[in-house]
Amino acid sequence: MRNRLFVLVLLAGASSARAQSPPKAPPAVNGCIECHTVLDDPRITPPARLFADDVHAKAGFTCVFCHGGDARQEYQEDAHDPKKGFIGKPRPEQIPQICGKCHSDPALMKQYDPSQRVDQLSEYRTSGHGKALARGDIAVAQCASCHGAHGIQPVKDSRSPVSPTRVAQTCNHCHGDAALMAAHKLPSDPYEKWSRSVHYRARVEKADLSAPTCNSCHGNHGAAPPQVGSVTNVCGTCHVTFADQFKLSPHWEPFKDMGLPGCVTCHENHEIVKPSEAFLAEGAQSRCSSCHEAGSAGARAAAVMRADLVGLDGEIQRASRLVDRAAEAGMEVSKVRFDLVSASNALTKARSEVHLFRPSAVHVAVAEGLAVARKAAAGGEDRLKERDYRRRGLFVSLGLILLTITALVVKIREGVPGSRENGE
Amino acid sequence: MRAWARDRIGWDDLVHIAAKKRVPVHRYTLFYYLGGMALFLFLVQVATGILLLLYYRPSSSEAFESVQYVMADVPFGWLIRSIHSWGANLFVGVVIAHLISVLFLKAYRAPREMTWVTGAVLLFLALGFGFSGYLLPWNTLAFFATKVGTDVPAQIPVIGHLLSRILRGGSDVSGATLSRFYGIHVAILPAITTLILGAHLLLVQRHGMSIPRSVEGKSRRSISFVPEFLMRDMVGWLAAVGLLAALAAFFPWELGVKADPFASAPAGIRPEWYFLWMFQGLKYLPSKIAGIPGEMLGVFFFGALAAAVVAVPWLDRRGKQGVAVAAVLILIAAAVLTVLALLPVPTSARP
Repeated sequence: MRNRLFVLVLLAGASSARAQSPPKAPPAVNGCIECHTVLDDPRITPPARLFADDVHAKAGFTCVFCHGGDARQEYQEDAHDPKKGFIGKPRPEQIPQICGKCHSDPALMKQYDPSQRVDQLSEYRTSGHGKALARGDIAVAQCASCHGAHGIQPVKDSRSPVSPTRVAQTCNHCHGDAALMAAHKLPSDPYEKWSRSVHYRARVEKADLSAPTCNSCHGNHGAAPPQVGSVTNVCGTCHVTFADQFKLSPHWEPFKDMGLPGCVTCHENHEIVKPSEAFLAEGAQSRCSSCHEAGSAGARAAAVMRADLVGLDGEIQRASRLVDRAAEAGMEVSKVRFDLVSASNALTKARSEVHLFRPSAVHVAVAEGLAVARKAAAGGEDRLKERDYRRRGLFVSLGLILLTITALVVKIREGVPGSRENGE
Repeated sequence: MRAWARDRIGWDDLVHIAAKKRVPVHRYTLFYYLGGMALFLFLVQVATGILLLLYYRPSSSEAFESVQYVMADVPFGWLIRSIHSWGANLFVGVVIAHLISVLFLKAYRAPREMTWVTGAVLLFLALGFGFSGYLLPWNTLAFFATKVGTDVPAQIPVIGHLLSRILRGGSDVSGATLSRFYGIHVAILPAITTLILGAHLLLVQRHGMSIPRSVEGKSRRSISFVPEFLMRDMVGWLAAVGLLAALAAFFPWELGVKADPFASAPAGIRPEWYFLWMFQGLKYLPSKIAGIPGEMLGVFFFGALAAAVVAVPWLDRRGKQGVAVAAVLILIAAAVLTVLALLPVPTSARP
């Protein structure tokens, strides 16, 4: 233990000294790479080869910045001299500290990426992973588990395991491992559930990078499940209106008192499906009936809100069908479609108002939407009447044309007196 | 009244000329009606085009909306625009059919060489009308098709890029392109067409109808141009009006989505049907042929073909079928390429 401590102190000293004077350019000779790439040892050769494409290598950092030792030495025993800070492969519990030597140094980081945060290590210590590691549990994620050890790429590079499009799979690498999660008393299905959610559809199927993935709600370096009291705040970072409305609603205080996790109570956490009016009805999908008994004031309020929303949705569907029929007949319907969009926006607003849990607020928004939806339906009907008018007009015109053609044909058959059709 | 007209415009002479003009009757007489049909459809285009002018606004910020207004709010605007759009396609089709029939009936024989030349130029003008008019509604399909179309002249060595810039009014298709395409469509092309069409009609009048060699001397039957041929012509014209009205009522010409110059090109961009064979042909050319860019060779081929079409009366050597055989081969190739261009593109092959 004393030796280990000594090595760590040495390493910290060496790294710290180097941290104050970052490399200006990659060294001309890197003995580590020269030996490790030609040894053909599956344990040490691939990492050495990967390092050539590492973001740190490109910035001029070499192996010794993390592993210690002396890259200028010709012989292994000199290069791997513990007196020169050589630690070999860092142990999991050493890794956050090694990375943090540079990444927690604002003066150093400013020279490479001034916009990058330097609180990753302190954040990590607050995370579930960091706390477990501090307790001596090495089967938890540390820096290299997510970013890789060699061949590290910037987060915005799509090859990085923590790039926005890959971070969920990276988390799932451990959090989908049933045995590992069972050992930590955690569920192993968050990715599976998330992949059935609206967030997954938006992010993966529609390539909308603004939709949340694991770190959007859990944090990245300080990853931890949001606490019961902070769920609404976390969801509210994107769903601002819903969160504000919910805080004004009659549910806000009772939920806090009962220790219910805000939004998650009705919408789940990972498997967040598209909400529907069925949430407000009684039945399997009901969210209200778990607290409000049938016939209670709460259940009646839910039924009123549901009826309003279903009514507006139905009117929009009716108007859409009429407009689609008119469009299929080639009628110009862009203005009516604009009304339909307004009606759909009103429905969205009305659905949002549900988070106030006051039927009157929902009713006002629905009434606005109904007026526009009825206008759109009337527009669709007008265009269908116009289509019929055009067709009637066409048949009358065709009748007149046919009549004129018939008259001409009769005249042609009669021939013209004095004509020399059969030749002179 | 008649005396007034006689003294001032020589009405009696005109009536005399009209009464004297006769049209031969034989088994190919039907093809004579194509010229009259093309002229009638051209006049329909002129009439509907003038009406559209009253509402159309040639700027990238207003063009689409003005056409939308014509289609939705102007009384019978939908009818006029749809007839103009459908009529344009029918017009080009009839002009092509007219040219093909004249080609195979060898009606370009002396002394009608210049009638053929003016007719060929009129076909190119019709294609120019189609190309310039396609962009005017400023919708996505037209915008990107024009981008592709105005890229083609850039393949010509030395002057190509300058030509493309002149056509576009800049380095890319923009509001400036729309303004000049509008000018070309409603002023430059109509002025040139009026002159060439006048010459064409004058030459037809001067030389009369050509009788195909295979029926030459076999029949001396003929009918008067006025009123017998004209009445038959009118049957065709009325049928064309009925067809255009039916197409307008059942399939009003689509307006599409307003062009967004900053959006990426949607899949399935293609020009009007009469340019499809060239569009598809250029796609199949390899990037280099004997060290020369394939597209450049393609453009040279189409240029040479256009020149050859104009020069048909002088390329045709009496007694040889070279021109007819070449025409059949080119028409078959054009038809095959058009069909290939119309086939749905497999999803995996889309860029």
